Amino acid sequence: MPGKPLLMTFPVTATSHTLADYRARGGYGTLVKAISSMQPADITKEVSTAGLLGHGGAAFSAGRKWGVVNLNDRQPHYLCANADEGEPGTFKDRWILENAPHLLLESMLIAAYALQVRHAFIYIRGEFDVPYQRLAAAIEEAYAAGYFGERILGTDFACDIVAYRGAGSYVCGEASGLLSSLEGKRGYPRNRPPRLTVQGLYKRPTVVNNVETLANVAGIIANGAAWYKSFGTAKSPGTQLVSISGHIATPGVYEVEYGYPLAKFLYEDCGGMVHGRKLKALIPGGISTKVLTGAEVQSVTFDHQSLSAAGSSVGSGGMIVIAEGTCMVRLLQVMLRFYHHESCGQCTPCREGMGWMHRIIDRVVAGEGRAEDLDRLIDISRWNDGNTICGMGDAAGYATIGILAKFRDEFEYFIANKRSRFDGNLECLRSS
Amino acid sequence: MPQIFINGQPVEAERDQTVMQAARANGIFIPYFCWHPELSVAGNCRICAIQIEDRSWVEIACNMPVSEGLKVLTDSDMVKAYRKSIMQLMTLNHPVDCGICDKSGECTLQDYHYKYNGAPSMSRDVKVRSTKFHPLSERIVLDNERCILCSRCVRFTREISKSNALGITQRGDASLVRAAEDRPLDADPYSDNIIDICPVGALLSRPFLYKARVWYLKPTSSICPGCARGCTVQIWHRKPEWKLNALDPRKNVSIERVTPLENPAVNGPWICNKGRDLALIFERPRAEQAMQKGQAVALSVAIETARRLINKAKHSVALVSNWGSNEELKAFKQMLGGRFTAIVKQDWLPQPGEVIEDDFLIRSDKNPNTTAAWALFPSLDLGGALADTTDLVLVWGEGFDFARVPPKARIIFLNSYLQPENGHADVFIPISIQTERRGHYTNFQGTVSAFEPCFPKKSSVADAEELFVLLAIPEVEPA
Repeated sequence: MPGKPLLMTFPVTATSHTLADYRARGGYGTLVKAISSMQPADITKEVSTAGLLGHGGAAFSAGRKWGVVNLNDRQPHYLCANADEGEPGTFKDRWILENAPHLLLESMLIAAYALQVRHAFIYIRGEFDVPYQRLAAAIEEAYAAGYFGERILGTDFACDIVAYRGAGSYVCGEASGLLSSLEGKRGYPRNRPPRLTVQGLYKRPTVVNNVETLANVAGIIANGAAWYKSFGTAKSPGTQLVSISGHIATPGVYEVEYGYPLAKFLYEDCGGMVHGRKLKALIPGGISTKVLTGAEVQSVTFDHQSLSAAGSSVGSGGMIVIAEGTCMVRLLQVMLRFYHHESCGQCTPCREGMGWMHRIIDRVVAGEGRAEDLDRLIDISRWNDGNTICGMGDAAGYATIGILAKFRDEFEYFIANKRSRFDGNLECLRSS
Repeated sequence: MPQIFINGQPVEAERDQTVMQAARANGIFIPYFCWHPELSVAGNCRICAIQIEDRSWVEIACNMPVSEGLKVLTDSDMVKAYRKSIMQLMTLNHPVDCGICDKSGECTLQDYHYKYNGAPSMSRDVKVRSTKFHPLSERIVLDNERCILCSRCVRFTREISKSNALGITQRGDASLVRAAEDRPLDADPYSDNIIDICPVGALLSRPFLYKARVWYLKPTSSICPGCARGCTVQIWHRKPEWKLNALDPRKNVSIERVTPLENPAVNGPWICNKGRDLALIFERPRAEQAMQKGQAVALSVAIETARRLINKAKHSVALVSNWGSNEELKAFKQMLGGRFTAIVKQDWLPQPGEVIEDDFLIRSDKNPNTTAAWALFPSLDLGGALADTTDLVLVWGEGFDFARVPPKARIIFLNSYLQPENGHADVFIPISIQTERRGHYTNFQGTVSAFEPCFPKKSSVADAEELFVLLAIPEVEPA
């Protein structure tokens, strides 16, 4: 186990996701404690003190986000769990939804109590099948047990929850796009200001948090902020669920304590590279984070500060391992095809830029690249940086700039020789 | 009242304004495609980029709230570079078929390209192909390749006309503006406004399609006579200096198109589709020949006959047109008011299929100047005014059932259009129409607006205001 776990604390069995098993692990005890002995503002303060950061990609302080909601504004507030896990390489929320749905529900109830939310939502990725079934079953169990509805646990606290299935759009994982979609509209992200905590779902203050962020709330309230801060580093407290895939021996979901050495995680916890190949590059947190070279990985620890010093970020914890012999030109082609396909088409730089970048890289891969193409890709990335309604255009730009900055020679080789430096497609080759 | 600084110039802004609104209110230009003063903020075109001093990124002016002491730069190097990139992206997949585009010459994309970029495209890749001539409604065709997806038309149908007729389907650079499946755009009486607010040549008017290049046309301010709202409009017609000699000369005096003339007091920047079709009213076959009992006579002869009839009559009734201008109605009152029992006539009634009234612009009174007419002439009942003793009826304008004229009465008929009744009148005098004269209408709210002549009046046609003066000359007793 890479460090002490916060969420993966129980053995996964055929019934570990059920209410009975969850209760046997002490489940819903924290809810009782929160409702009976704590004021809503105390909960927000505890989460703030714990320094809980968003686990969806942006790493924004959850306590600060909650703190914006004015509890006395006499209007409805909403809470929404973002379970539209769409970042390529990321499948960590799925672990929570499949194995600990009640942890999410209990945490959401505590958050709903803290934010005075009557109606909470879970926006779940449409492609999730088992996670949705488990979540839906858990919601039914929780309702039957009286954790949702009117007069929860005999108090005046009331809360209802709805699981809403998305229709398969990457942009709907962006908080404001998610709310537009939840309202039944086209999943267009919205301009800020106003922030969602001021004007979100149905133009009311709304807190949208990642599933993993919310799942940590129950633990914080049960054991206190100081306990939570004993995990991880001073500036990155807690743990991160990491979904690791690619050329790694044992891909899957791991819980990594912040501050854990990245190389140790890869080579010891995940069993090292597949077939003992050399590590060429690592995408640390979903394809929207900048790529790290194999050399950079050796000295980095897995936390926000160390990764951002290395020019990347924790992102959504979707780690993709890339072995020596992989063609980075084709890798970028796959990524740009994705961004082109998922651009919502609302604002100009992303709508036109993604398609343009995709056409350029397709042409390069077809052996018709020109010398100016690489500069053009960087130009388009820069035009998107910080200049779009949501972060998708920026993310595509970071990914492109990241790869071009570190592997430009491969692209120049491809353009000059009309073929990849690496013959064939590593993914299709069976190593002896 | 926060004070902000735009390019160093202090500007007084309102509390709830955005930088875009504050700049416009103070005459400072910030470019925009998707923003529109009457629509909600979409913030998708990104051309209204501004820089806040000492920040290393750009904001969009349309969604940037003002705050005390905000220092805005609309023309910094960063803003210029950003706008240049936005224009490159806007035109990336645009077909640049300005040569055959109706919008050419009044196209925002064209203007901004020259203003903010001006360079050839950096792209060497093929453009995204899309639908051309998509029939959005019976009146509107859509060219998706030209569309820049600013969503103005979509927001118009949601926020202004409230037909919810349009939406965007697909995503990314394959996004398409499409009408809802049950075609509510056909039923939207304000649909053509989306053609005006389209910043590019994507939404095209079918009646105007390939009809004229706009630089050969000139707008004359006028008033839509279609209902009592009296929306101010611009009638576009061929510039006299670009007169056509070889082709059909009627093109020189025809209404090519009608667009709204922004008027906050009456119609804002909008008009309804009926106002677009003024040609259907004004370009009906014209009566240009004076007649006496169906026999053609010179205009002066007809006027002289009419004057004699008026002087001879004992009990004369006039049916006054509520399509007459304020000036004409006043002239009638002053010159002939004492000689006639005057009744205001409803020239036009709602046509079958027409929207009678709604809570936006369209009014149930389908005449332009009823307010002014009623102010000058008491609204008598027609049945009460016409008696057996009536020996002369003067009918001014359309919409009168001649069967109601008492059998012994003589008829003087002033009309602009060819109608069978013209030949039945004892005296028929053709009069000019709105596009041939200058005048004012008073709308139902009492707001007075002006219209200007678009075309010259033919000499065989009388001007009503002058005609009333001539008709009022008393009979000179022979010495």
